[in-house]
Amino acid sequence: MRLLTVRGEVLGKAAAAGAFVLAVALVPLALADYQAYEFALVGAYFVAVCGLNILTGYTGQISLGHGAFMALGGYTTAILATDHGIDPVWTIPIGGLVAGLAGFAFGIPALRLSGLYLALVTFGIAVAAPALARKLEGLTGGSTGKNVPLPKAHWGLRLSSNDWLYYQNWTVALVLLLAAWLLLRGRTGRAFRAVRDSEVAAVSFGVHLPTYKTLAFGVSAFYAGVAGSLFAITVAYVNPDSYPIKLSVYLVVGAVAAGLGSLWGLVFGAALIEYLPTKAADISSTAPDVIFGAVLIAVMLLLPSGAAGLLRRLWAFAARLYTRPRVQ
Amino acid sequence: MTVLLAAAWSEVAQQVVSGLATGSIYASLALGIVIIYRSTGVINFAQGEMATFSTFIAWWLIEDPNGPDWPYWAAFVVVLVISFAGGVLLERVLIRPVEQAPVLTIVMVTLGLAIALNGLIGWIWGAETRSFPGAFSTRPIHVGSVTFSIQDAGFIAVMLAAVLCLYLFFRFTKAGLGLRAAAAGGEASRLLGVRVGWMLALGWGIATMLGALSGMMTAPTAFLDPNMMQGVLLYAFAAAVLGGLDSPIGAVVGGLALGVLLNLLGTYVDFFGGQMRLVGGLLVILGVLLIRPQGLFGRVAVRRV
Amino acid sequence: MRMRLSIVLALLATGAGAALAGPTDTPGVSSTQILIGGTAPLTGEAASAGAVSKGAQGYFDYVNARGGVFGRKISYKVEDDAYDPPRTVLAARKLVEQDGVFAIFNTLGTNNNLAIRDYLNQRKVPQLFVASGANTWGADSKKFPWTIGYIPSYVVEGQVYARYVLKTRPKAKIGVLFQDDDYGHDMIKGLRRGLGKRTSLIKAQVGYDPKGADVSSQVAQIKSSGADVFMVFAFGKFSVQALIQANKLGWRPKLVVVNAVSSSANLMTLADLTGAKAITKGAVSIAFFKDPTDPKWKKDAGLALERKILKQYVPGSNVKDGYYVAGMASAYTLVDALKKAGKNLTREGMMKAARTLNEAKNPFVIPGILVKTTAKDAFPMQQVVLERWTKGHWSIFTGVLTARS
Repeated sequence: MRLLTVRGEVLGKAAAAGAFVLAVALVPLALADYQAYEFALVGAYFVAVCGLNILTGYTGQISLGHGAFMALGGYTTAILATDHGIDPVWTIPIGGLVAGLAGFAFGIPALRLSGLYLALVTFGIAVAAPALARKLEGLTGGSTGKNVPLPKAHWGLRLSSNDWLYYQNWTVALVLLLAAWLLLRGRTGRAFRAVRDSEVAAVSFGVHLPTYKTLAFGVSAFYAGVAGSLFAITVAYVNPDSYPIKLSVYLVVGAVAAGLGSLWGLVFGAALIEYLPTKAADISSTAPDVIFGAVLIAVMLLLPSGAAGLLRRLWAFAARLYTRPRVQ
Repeated sequence: MTVLLAAAWSEVAQQVVSGLATGSIYASLALGIVIIYRSTGVINFAQGEMATFSTFIAWWLIEDPNGPDWPYWAAFVVVLVISFAGGVLLERVLIRPVEQAPVLTIVMVTLGLAIALNGLIGWIWGAETRSFPGAFSTRPIHVGSVTFSIQDAGFIAVMLAAVLCLYLFFRFTKAGLGLRAAAAGGEASRLLGVRVGWMLALGWGIATMLGALSGMMTAPTAFLDPNMMQGVLLYAFAAAVLGGLDSPIGAVVGGLALGVLLNLLGTYVDFFGGQMRLVGGLLVILGVLLIRPQGLFGRVAVRRV
Repeated sequence: MRMRLSIVLALLATGAGAALAGPTDTPGVSSTQILIGGTAPLTGEAASAGAVSKGAQGYFDYVNARGGVFGRKISYKVEDDAYDPPRTVLAARKLVEQDGVFAIFNTLGTNNNLAIRDYLNQRKVPQLFVASGANTWGADSKKFPWTIGYIPSYVVEGQVYARYVLKTRPKAKIGVLFQDDDYGHDMIKGLRRGLGKRTSLIKAQVGYDPKGADVSSQVAQIKSSGADVFMVFAFGKFSVQALIQANKLGWRPKLVVVNAVSSSANLMTLADLTGAKAITKGAVSIAFFKDPTDPKWKKDAGLALERKILKQYVPGSNVKDGYYVAGMASAYTLVDALKKAGKNLTREGMMKAARTLNEAKNPFVIPGILVKTTAKDAFPMQQVVLERWTKGHWSIFTGVLTARS
């Protein structure tokens, strides 16, 4: 039973999206300055989780290495902004592009790897990437890392630096969310979903696997790169230890908690990544990781379809509750 | 000239011998990974932390001034038994609910377990480095200009013995046969009377036991702290992949070979010194999976579409 | 009713920490309290160093019990950053913007402090007595006037070892094992600088991965270079492993140098227990804080105070752990600087006091070593002594050595 007509649902979704955009725009007015900073970080994670969702939720490819793509974006921003004096804002798309190209390139050998093997290789990439960053000292500053110029409001806007960061990150996030939505509702999205559900069936429907699988890797890496740039600008520092394997694991946790295969739960996933480590430390100052691990396991066992899945179930429940079959 | 060559050769030989010693650490952890993969099709990202946890229990039994102060061998055996039970419990509680779930779910559960165990170890026992007694003496043996210790040789011997036991177990015991059947085809073996659920738990129990063995053999050289196995995990994966993810002998050979390879690379190729060995490990994983996915001794073929 | 509610809301809106009612306008300072913030690795791979902040906290508790500084109690808020620089940034911003601390103190880790330095200097928040020996805290003090270091830099340490070798073994063949990160690189820089024209004495310089499992290959490589002086610039268990490996290989270098960070008595004892006595005997290191396991200080008043403070205020602490002494030493200096800054406490006044230190009687620092800063010298500690490991403990065998970087 449907709660709304098809048209009603479309309008409803549009209204919800509009409300979301409005909320994003107005939230800083209700927040303390420092909280705007935390929300700015959530915005950066939002972009990364969105990208990872495109890869894992829509084409079913696992990546435990997206922290490395974030590192690529972050370092690109740091190098361009600190060493070459480019305004950090303009480095955001460049960071995305560098990571995107790397993701695309990696997508090619990744075609030969599936499921567990892909997880293994991407895990290896995440573990080895900091080592590479340390080695290429001339470019990356090695272990010392690089300080990125502290953020300040641009273009005459009178905003505190935290509010500026918030709007910078969330504008990028909303733009990329829109782009993801457009990408996924079209032919590409259908091809992606076909790849995820059954590769064999997809091929028989004429979906050229290599193109779509590498495209997915490239796009999601682009998103991670942008997220990495935003992250570098927000934290104002990059070094090899800022992108550890833990970050890649957190990103996957965020994507799963958000709900793979849907764009509705992304804020929840991003917020989880930002707030869980500190909240876990508040609950237990001596064993925050136990809390984090336990939450992770709980999410996987109890809520594997994430926040989006929960929303779906609530909606279906409401539908059952409020509609009655018409009896003639 | 001959003196120079001799010096160079002895240096290489020493690096090879050290590589075998380091490689046995990789091999021992890889063995548990392979057993879990072979019996349940899961890659256990928590293998390292499980090994460390078991070793801490052993430490408490043997070394802790506030602990029971048991003799080494008694504690050794008891820890193996406890680990076996622990592994069975873990499988039934954490893995069973997600047996049929997609790969990602299972991967994340083992990752969550790894994170939680690491935190738990730090919480119970604290972060300082401690020593752990070895089963063998550390007296060095000199063969020509190459040195190794009895402990190093003993480690390798124990690994080979473990592989032999596993082989005998899988080949000649009913439980072993059941494990192989359960791994090969769940439904069909169920119909044949194999209690698949318990077989999977058995696989985890054995692997956890192997993890404890790995930890107790590694801790004397590497010293015991909560992060002891973190640096090893990637290399253990590389060893398992190199040897063949479903082959126990492959895990040992892969581990030893990897240890030697990385030592030689690290010493003689400047680019791979220091932290870059991790990249070496990654390249091994990537290379093997792309070129010969079943590794040296494995039988699994990666499906290609 | 509504009036009262709006007053309450107004008070809340002015921020809990930022405007503690008091006679000054300085954030974090009230008539009864000084709020200081800092981060430390309370969990994670560097958790053993968390004891530094616990030691400092203990000293503050002791001072507070005696009335505090000008009647103000020191409230020291430590946030866990798990040694992860982005978390340090988050914690520092929270401490400054939400909790309204007066200053950031004793933050641990080179990269962690680098990550927050720009921000703190921009906001003119004192970044005091950074718990890291990187050279930049003193060297770049003009660019970052709100930041000040504390312990002798790693570069200075490397130089001291270099000079010792040049003096006692001018024909040495040096083999160095170093941690492949900032820390190790700074030590090497100092070593080379100290050797000056004679850097050719270094026959092998091998790095290891701080996240790796062991260092057997690296030690073997160094041994085969023919080195007879073995320098270990490592952290924690890797130093012990290095010594044990050297022993296992049957290598008997004429001199072994162990860096300060890992020369704690626990680690050396671990090496001894595992049979490496032949290597550890006579090993040399530097010291600047009093070592709680050195019999020389058994009757020392400073360490008696340290033991008393640990017993009373830091339950569960290991008396033998030198990290607590380090924390108390820098806490002592902070209190000293607070007193100098006067009753009318401002951030500018604080930095001025921190830049004109002249401490000769820090109870936790080896006598003779000054904690001193001037307009031209932004390094609080630039002196060390050399000590030798004999009979299961460290023994100081030189007077105070000065090394400027």
